[in-house]
Amino acid sequence: MSSPTHLKRARRAAAAISVVFAFVAIPAAAQAAPVDLATVAPFVVLGGQEVTNTGPSVLNGALGVAPGTSLTGFGLPAVVNGATHNNDGVANQAQSDLTTAYNVAAGQALTQDLSGTNLGNRTLTAGAYRYTSSAQLTGALTLDAAGDPNAQFVFMISSALTTASASSVVMLNGANPCNVYWQVGSSATLGSTTAFQGNLMALSDISLNNGATVIGRMLARNGTVSLINNVLTASSCDTGDGGGGGGGADSGDDSGGNGTGGLTRAQRLARRNGTATVRRTPRETCTEGFRARVRGHLIERVVFRLDGKRISSQAKSPFRVLIRALPGRHNVTARVTFRDATRAKTLRLRYRACAAAVLQPRRGPSQFTG
Amino acid sequence: MSHPVRVSALAVVLLAATAACVPVGSAHAAGPRVAPSQRLVVLLHDHVVRARPNRTAQRIEWVGAWRPLTGVRTVLPVLGRARTRGGQSWVHVRLPGRPNGHEGWIRAYRTKRTSTEWRLVLTLSNRRVTVYHHGRVMRRFPAVVGTPSTPTPTGRFFIEEALDLSSQVGGPFALATSARSEVLQEFEGGPGQIALHGTNGLSGALGSASSHGCVRLGTGAITWLAHRIGSGVPLTIKS
Repeated sequence: MSSPTHLKRARRAAAAISVVFAFVAIPAAAQAAPVDLATVAPFVVLGGQEVTNTGPSVLNGALGVAPGTSLTGFGLPAVVNGATHNNDGVANQAQSDLTTAYNVAAGQALTQDLSGTNLGNRTLTAGAYRYTSSAQLTGALTLDAAGDPNAQFVFMISSALTTASASSVVMLNGANPCNVYWQVGSSATLGSTTAFQGNLMALSDISLNNGATVIGRMLARNGTVSLINNVLTASSCDTGDGGGGGGGADSGDDSGGNGTGGLTRAQRLARRNGTATVRRTPRETCTEGFRARVRGHLIERVVFRLDGKRISSQAKSPFRVLIRALPGRHNVTARVTFRDATRAKTLRLRYRACAAAVLQPRRGPSQFTG
Repeated sequence: MSHPVRVSALAVVLLAATAACVPVGSAHAAGPRVAPSQRLVVLLHDHVVRARPNRTAQRIEWVGAWRPLTGVRTVLPVLGRARTRGGQSWVHVRLPGRPNGHEGWIRAYRTKRTSTEWRLVLTLSNRRVTVYHHGRVMRRFPAVVGTPSTPTPTGRFFIEEALDLSSQVGGPFALATSARSEVLQEFEGGPGQIALHGTNGLSGALGSASSHGCVRLGTGAITWLAHRIGSGVPLTIKS
């Protein structure tokens, strides 16, 4: 039964099978293990000691700090489109989960060691990449998911991450910034107008210079997150929870968005393409009043006010309102908010009512010269 | 070499264009140029009128914050402004009543700035009222003006107040002006005030000179005006 020839065939078959398994297993090993943000996911900015802001930054996501308590510069003109957690239970739990996610990211099986090279002007496929010292991004870094919506990219950087001005991280073939993790051993600095994507988890400080934009998260474990006129949008990600299977729907939608418009929803939201102008018709006469109309792109809502008093709020086009001509000088304002990161603006329309509108002549005696 | 030819050709084109424009005779082009708007001041309080922008200057008269016939706010055309060394602001205004077209200075304190884009011009020679808005002719109405013995005064005036006379004589509306008759010091219990009003209960064909000094307009015309012309609107009456 077990002749030597059979044994040889069996050994060859076993060897062949092991080779096949080896070929299958090698890419699987290169694929980074999922990092779970857990309760950190709603945050777009989470600081350890402090979060500071200068200028009209826009945060599309929650803002938090723990165990520190300092949140400065987040009144107008800055806008936070999300909850704020100042050293409360939510922020502390998020810090705890951040530590876990940071450690998971730091312990990824290595795909390639990029130490000593610049991240700029190169294309990387899914995997875990390491820098034994600091990392520098100058130019564009393209992350290619090869059509896999769950493709995960992890960058393990032992010390600092620095990006030069106008650098960018670009998603390709369905890559999702939600699945991009930057584990930084000390501090990170994003240069002016850098278009950054991914979840940046720094042990110490994170500094964003003027005009840098982020699709992802800025998460500092122990230090300060400082912003200057930035737009940050927390990319929606459910894929991490599903372990690769359950969360495919959102990623699929995003990749579908990639296929049609070339941009993910988060990328579209982070842009500032909204426009709005207000005009009055008719322009010449105001005997009865006039119609003020706001036109533009990506308008979400228009609130009309007459002399500060709210007269109409509209969320659907056409955005227009009839202003009755009143005596004297008046101000019509239209507060316009946009569907993307464009800053809300107030359009002003001053008008001076003509005498026509004034007049409902009062009764009086007829005592003229006739 | 070719310049004279070009010049003459240009001249021909311009002449042709001019000739073509004249018969069109747009209302805008035909009327005299008038300012597109007139600055006004609304009195929020009674004011003392002085001859110069100075607290010690001669006191001319007193002007009330309310008009006597309907009780609306007094609105006066602004002719200029001044600020004293002490920082006081003064407004040079045209005043109602006699002598016709007189002016004076009031404190800017307790006044409110406004303006109007309307303007009325009455030409006695052709007995027409021309209505301007933003410096452009909006309407022309035939009118009855004063007889030679009770002429309509000429000069620069303004509308003091608009009245709803309904079915009273001279109705349905009247625009009481700052002008006063030079002949009749008193009429029907009033001070000889000149008004633009309707023809209720009055005779005289439009385009004639048969009134006691007032300007009579057709019912449609005075109704149109009464719904547009408010206090302070300048009125120029020229011969």
